[in-house]
Amino acid sequence: MKSETMKSPYETFAGDSDLHGVPIAVEGVGPFGGSELISEPLVTGNKTYADVDRDIAFHVENFPTRRWWICFFIAGSMLGLLLFSLATLFYVGEGVVGINHPVGWGTFIVNFVFWIGIGHAGTLISAVLFLFRQKWRTAINRSAEAMTLFAVACAGIFPIIHLGRPWFAYWLMPIPNGRGPLWINFNSALAWDIFAISTYGTISAVFWYVGLLPDLATIRDRATHPWRRKLYHWLSLGWTGSNRAWKHYEAAYLILAALATPLVFSVHTIVSFDFATSIMPGWHTTIFPPYFVIGAIFSGFAMVLTLMVFMRQVFNLKNYITINHMEAMAKIIMLTGMLVGLAYSTEFFVAWYSGSEYEGFVFRNRAFGPYGWSYFIMFTCNAIIPQFFWIKKIRRNPYTLLVIAILVNVGMWFERYVIIVTSLHRDFLPSSWGMYHMTFFDWSILIGSFGLFFTLFLLFVRFLPSIAMSEVKGVMDPEVARCRPEDDASEEA
Amino acid sequence: MSRSDTTLGVFGYVCTPDEALAAAKRIRDSEYTRFDVLTPFPVHGMDEAMGLKRSWVPWMTAGLAATGILAAQVMMVGIMVLLWPMNFGGKPFMAWPSFIPITFELMVLFAGIGTAVIAIFAGKRWTVPQPPVLNVRTGATVDRFVLWISSEDPAFDREKTAEFLRELRVRDVRPIDEEDRDVE
Repeated sequence: MKSETMKSPYETFAGDSDLHGVPIAVEGVGPFGGSELISEPLVTGNKTYADVDRDIAFHVENFPTRRWWICFFIAGSMLGLLLFSLATLFYVGEGVVGINHPVGWGTFIVNFVFWIGIGHAGTLISAVLFLFRQKWRTAINRSAEAMTLFAVACAGIFPIIHLGRPWFAYWLMPIPNGRGPLWINFNSALAWDIFAISTYGTISAVFWYVGLLPDLATIRDRATHPWRRKLYHWLSLGWTGSNRAWKHYEAAYLILAALATPLVFSVHTIVSFDFATSIMPGWHTTIFPPYFVIGAIFSGFAMVLTLMVFMRQVFNLKNYITINHMEAMAKIIMLTGMLVGLAYSTEFFVAWYSGSEYEGFVFRNRAFGPYGWSYFIMFTCNAIIPQFFWIKKIRRNPYTLLVIAILVNVGMWFERYVIIVTSLHRDFLPSSWGMYHMTFFDWSILIGSFGLFFTLFLLFVRFLPSIAMSEVKGVMDPEVARCRPEDDASEEA
Repeated sequence: MSRSDTTLGVFGYVCTPDEALAAAKRIRDSEYTRFDVLTPFPVHGMDEAMGLKRSWVPWMTAGLAATGILAAQVMMVGIMVLLWPMNFGGKPFMAWPSFIPITFELMVLFAGIGTAVIAIFAGKRWTVPQPPVLNVRTGATVDRFVLWISSEDPAFDREKTAEFLRELRVRDVRPIDEEDRDVE
């Protein structure tokens, strides 16, 4: 039994059906004896701190369910397809994919930009929302950061296979060598990209691991087997929960967030420089950096939303990832969707206003030429479909959220397709115009990269706590969540 | 001397952050200095309650960031101007604006990794000896706010310190001995 008298207004919230997405009024606690508005709880169901550990660590401590194995089998098969495709690609050569004159940047760069964009929402949730003190991030930041890491892993494959001779990938790094010595050209946006992506991957991993330390210690303290205890003790670097450690930890976490915030903007800015510093009409625009960054956040949030719809359902985490969390993400998708739509419109306006006939042609061709269908998919999915989120019922229904999030992901993949393919396929000389035909291997590498992503994500939810337990505890009401040794004693008696 | 030679310290727990803050303030104002509060999550105001100064880690970050900037500049200027000067359309060898992105990235890389490593070390070493958490379940990573006074404290006395903690309404106060290290 919990205590008889209600101590906190949050005790009445059992689940999603009690949440309405608006502040609640508590009678008699205002400064002049009136009611006071407080926000709804982030954790429902009268959970205690110990319940948090039980509910979240359960999935780490128990053998996975049949559903997990089915998902893992499907994802693993897709990963196998990726390995097969890459092996074929390396053995036969780049000819197996559809990349050819005039579209020399095809599927690899489309997928690279797509995956890097997916990764950006994880850093946004963990770093930017941390700086803005958005407490709802605590339930989703761990899995969003994991998503970042895995998306960067997927993205990292593509520039390397795009090289054509991937076994020379180390030539991209400025290492002393016997080829002259021959050095890379630091004036090239592609050289900036190497540093941006590798720094981003490294810092994301560090940020993620630092965030994991207290939770690994929790798993250690719950473990019964001595080896498991030792393993997690070692992984948590001997975390005890000391406030003298928390002091430095919090300072470091804040700094990492402050470093990761400009980093995430810089990474996609530099990715956009790969295009913007060229002189191709359709690429050579100053709008590209903000346009790419917003698009990245937009697509990344859609991916987080997709994963969370499944995770909260399958892992029974609806008390932690509540419908209010989902609504908050839907609102960000709606906002960024409008910004993306604004960017599309601005591009068109500038193409007309600049008076450049090449720029004007590329944009007319983009929307009404042979690839008009892809522009139509892009514009509909990204700029129009998220507008349904103005309706509250749609924002708070997992099914509509899932459908819209998947459509946004489709739309964002096509955005990169539109930018790359439509700009390249008809350039200055009509005699060198052509079309881009994706082959089986273009598709299999795309599908396979999803396999890699989902395989890694499924392993993550199996072996590590998928919600930041220590951070969730920090946003709970202590009056509800506290330990109650007297009650335990009386229960046992 | 009796068993206190082998005593590592005394600990007990409270159930809410507010109780932990109140108890920490009382210990801070007492004669004990080598004490710690072990919490499941960072408690707002605990640093003041324990009388701790601000973390010095940000100063390290500043130094590391400067190192990263310097390393990037030395590398790029060295390569582009001294080791391999190349003429790109008559542009200057030291085209500093195009060195900015990599300078920024290396600043973040150095500062980020260094800050994490230093902060973890700072919390592990150069601090109060911690209870042997591998063998003694303190509950501090679950739901308990543990108050711990190390036997390194000059004022430490096995019985008196335990009595002092009990006076602060700390629950389940007990000493940890050297032997407890080996308990599984």
